[in-house]
Amino acid sequence: MKLTRRMTLAAFAGMLALGTAAPAYAADLIAIITPSHDNPFFKAEAVGAEAKAKELGYEALVLVHDDDANKQSELIDTAIGRGAKAIILDNAGADATVAAVQKAKDAGVPSFLIDREINATGVAIAQIVSNNYQGAQLGAQEFVKLMGEKGNYVELVGKESDTNAGIRSKGYHDVIDDYPDLKMVAQQSANWSQTEAYSKMESILQANPDIKGVISGNDTMAMGAYAALAAANRKDVIVVGFDGSNDVRDSITSGGIKATVLQPAYAQAQMAVEQANDFIKNKKSPAEEKQLMDCVLVNGDNAAKLETFALTN
Amino acid sequence: MLNKLTWPILAVPILAMSVGLSLTACKILPTPSAENGGNAPAFNPDKMVEEIWAAKVIPYLQQKAGPFAEVHALAKTDPAAAGAKYGNPKKQANSPWTFAVRLEGKIVAANTQSRAATIDIDADGDGKADARVQIGPAVRGTALRDSLDFIQFNDFTNQIDFAQFGKSFNIYVDKTVLSKLPRETLEGRTAKVLGAYTPGSGQDLPLVTPAEAEIGPKP
Repeated sequence: MKLTRRMTLAAFAGMLALGTAAPAYAADLIAIITPSHDNPFFKAEAVGAEAKAKELGYEALVLVHDDDANKQSELIDTAIGRGAKAIILDNAGADATVAAVQKAKDAGVPSFLIDREINATGVAIAQIVSNNYQGAQLGAQEFVKLMGEKGNYVELVGKESDTNAGIRSKGYHDVIDDYPDLKMVAQQSANWSQTEAYSKMESILQANPDIKGVISGNDTMAMGAYAALAAANRKDVIVVGFDGSNDVRDSITSGGIKATVLQPAYAQAQMAVEQANDFIKNKKSPAEEKQLMDCVLVNGDNAAKLETFALTN
Repeated sequence: MLNKLTWPILAVPILAMSVGLSLTACKILPTPSAENGGNAPAFNPDKMVEEIWAAKVIPYLQQKAGPFAEVHALAKTDPAAAGAKYGNPKKQANSPWTFAVRLEGKIVAANTQSRAATIDIDADGDGKADARVQIGPAVRGTALRDSLDFIQFNDFTNQIDFAQFGKSFNIYVDKTVLSKLPRETLEGRTAKVLGAYTPGSGQDLPLVTPAEAEIGPKP
């Protein structure tokens, strides 16, 4: 009796093990995990990474964590369970992500981070991030120039759990605060969201009709803010964004939003997959874990050259 | 007999199953700790800059800097060679070169209307400006930080700390050097600067951030 029970259990376990092991014999898998594709920036990352993975002969598993650290943790489990050879990750929080990436590492799955850093080194193989501070300084310098170094302005900040929201704000203020005649009358988070930026901008404008400019932590919020300003017949307000999306490009070329800062999202994601490939095939890590990529100012002079988060020549 | 034989074989899938179970059953919750600044509460960039300025920064720039015309010409034709000689060879692979330079010449134009005030310097005596020098109080960029080979991004917790450190250089140089420079009738005077610049960062002329600066008397 006891023996048969053991045998059944063992057979069941054997089947389970076979079942989970099977995908490993197909093409090697790379998991690509990003925030929601509603924001074209994250979509460009996923598309760039997937294209490069396929080009290098991998199967791609594209997932979104919606900036939810618990969901991200589950997706990492999925990637491990599916036998992924590497994870390309735009993460859901600088502190919360450390344990999730450690978990993947412990299971033998290397992680290659893009866009956002985590507050730990030696856990991921690579952290390829935009130089958000340098980019924010470019955006702020252009904003200061457009404002003529004086006037009231509003800052829209990104999602608090995202390190980049804080660093862009810091980059903006490190430049703008050197000009005492520039006065910030409101600073609010619109959580990277276009609709939230629209409604926040509406109420800020009611309380502060005398504003001259809006500096936004990303392009989707800049789009929302500009739409609210346009609806209130205040197209005179100077709006500057961050990311370099096609939406903002079109707004710049048609005389709406004044400037943005391009992050090379597509190239960054592709570079991460190349480094993952090098690690999988040759066990070779990049020279440095944390790698910064510089951003480029986009305004009326070069907006026409912008396409899917890359400047053409 | 049969029993003894099968057990070690069966143990493998059971082990595999239990590992699988423990992984999916484990949920990591976010730690509600401080978002900015990370885990370095004692991080004081202003103090760090103050401590290394006279002991390391100035001696490094003095030893590394080349005459502006020479550096700029080499940077145009062979950036890698210029980088090896006047730049920080340990810089991030994707970052542009930042070069240490000496600049001496005549002030041909000045913009003191902006808080990011600048002077344009003619270094080769042709009457035309060759470089623009920041004289504060608003100082842009991170050229001073980026010119030093003993400062690495990977030594910092995150971009925020690294950025604050860069800003601290600008604050320090404004406080100890730039704020003491004259602001009136600058054109026609001589200027002597030791500093750093990143080609392409200025909109027209190369933008030099000084670590040391002298402006001569009115002509």
